[in-house]
Amino acid sequence: MSFLRKVVSKVERNLFEVYQAPHLRNPSLIVGWQTQDVGKLGSKTIQFLNEKLAGQKIAEIKPSGFFPLGGAAFKDNLIQVSESKFWACEKSNLLLFKSEESEYEWHKFLNAILDFAQHYCQVKELYTVSGILCLSAHTTPRRILAVYNQPEFQEMLRDYGLEDMTWEGPPAISSYLLWVAEKRSVPGVSLWPEIPFYLAAVEDPTAIKLTLSFLDRRFSLGLDLAEFDLEIRNQNEKIAQLREENAEINEYINRLESGLSLNEEEQVRLAREVYEILEK
Amino acid sequence: MGIRLFRQPELEKPELICGWPGIGNIGLIAVDTLKGILGAEEFGEIEPWDFSYPKKVLIKDGLLEELRFPSNKFYYKRLERRDLIFFIGEEQPTEGEKMYAAGEKAYQMSNLVLDVAEKFGCQRVYTSGACVSPIHHTVKPRVVSVVSSEKLAEEVIRYQNTILISEMGGREGEGVITGLNGLLLAVAKRRGLESICLMGEIPDWLSGSPFPYPKASKSVLEVFADILGIRIDFTVLDKMVAQIEEIVERLYEGFPSEIKERYDERKVAAQAKPGGITEEDARWIKEHIDELFKKGGEQGGEKSI
Repeated sequence: MSFLRKVVSKVERNLFEVYQAPHLRNPSLIVGWQTQDVGKLGSKTIQFLNEKLAGQKIAEIKPSGFFPLGGAAFKDNLIQVSESKFWACEKSNLLLFKSEESEYEWHKFLNAILDFAQHYCQVKELYTVSGILCLSAHTTPRRILAVYNQPEFQEMLRDYGLEDMTWEGPPAISSYLLWVAEKRSVPGVSLWPEIPFYLAAVEDPTAIKLTLSFLDRRFSLGLDLAEFDLEIRNQNEKIAQLREENAEINEYINRLESGLSLNEEEQVRLAREVYEILEK
Repeated sequence: MGIRLFRQPELEKPELICGWPGIGNIGLIAVDTLKGILGAEEFGEIEPWDFSYPKKVLIKDGLLEELRFPSNKFYYKRLERRDLIFFIGEEQPTEGEKMYAAGEKAYQMSNLVLDVAEKFGCQRVYTSGACVSPIHHTVKPRVVSVVSSEKLAEEVIRYQNTILISEMGGREGEGVITGLNGLLLAVAKRRGLESICLMGEIPDWLSGSPFPYPKASKSVLEVFADILGIRIDFTVLDKMVAQIEEIVERLYEGFPSEIKERYDERKVAAQAKPGGITEEDARWIKEHIDELFKKGGEQGGEKSI
């Protein structure tokens, strides 16, 4: 493929399987992770953008060296494959990436993402999307917490209603990617929409819609997000029904709505009951 | 994958002393304490990102301020009689879910450490770790050594409280020193360097515990003092020993009386002879101690951002 010859020599080409030449002009890169995907936010956001913006699969990072290749995992009778794929949304000028978190060679893996994004697509900005657990009720208005790798970029996104995060602790892979991007002078932001802990294991359409609304505004995508309203209504109705039928669960959620906390046992019980009713 | 040297100290045939985490952090505590006592100065590091996942992120007012990795640092000290290089790694590079370093990454790190040591003319390498032994926790741990040549075997037994591993018995003369505290010695020997591993004894039932075992580190440190011909103030280490002894005593008090009785035979039995407790006793201790440790561990879960 002729365009491959243009690539800067320091990029390790053998890390990638390139399917077609990306036709993007300094796109923004949006990354979603499938591992520990709280509220299925990362995977569903990327999936929705792909479908609505006619994303074309253009490349993937080969699994060798990054993922265990000692066999095939399966879940619910289905073989699970680790995939690390790039899609180009040409009209919207977006580069999308969705993957499991690599199990080995994290630094090399994260650099590979940016190698492809920078050298094949000349990407200008990075956005990561991951859900963050919160102890509020699902009826409480959600926020998107944000972490930036450059103050200038933070200033640029000041009017989008994102809330600055302050935190110290073990880093998620999104923070690691943000750090690697900063070393390469790529401005980036990690978006952390809040997800009530009892919705962590299921889809959280409210958080997904909130994230997509931000991306819609930021990139003027013209997305129709109405389908999420129906999902949100359905989910809220199911939880409301559970509250009617189960006084204990109703009390737990009432307490969360009043800003009170639950102990560990109560949290587990609430999460289990909600999971069961939503996954029926 | 790189080495960064901030300074180029003038050193004459320095000896390399390495410490990584391991069972009871015996080697790491001994080497780190020695480095601190001697006031060794930092002069370089191995870039950590190819070996470790970062351990901490600092985010303030929305800005990612810092990502901290486990460090892999070099220090040096010029003593009257010899020069020293210290290498201290905060984490053993692992592949997959292994506990200690193994495979390509460990081999790469060993070579990087030795590249720096040899650049300064190093000819001898020390590592330190744990030797799991059927000893009573009230007994002073011995220092068990494995070396790269017969000549060194003759040398190490002259040091206080030090034995060769062959004197331990029950191992048919063979074994493996797991992780980098072992692999580095093999790579060093391959390069023609003298190598010595000094392992402090830890009671077998404590080898899976989540806390350090500084009592054995002290034994190792005493041997280093002997080797280097220096006097060491053990005040700080003694405080740590006393704190851990308290925890160990509490665990020991929880033993059923019949197991305690058999275990106490270790106080008087020769250290090299395994025994004092039955296999069943050992199983009971392991199961109950693990349970106790698990209780503490479950409270420590943290999310990542």
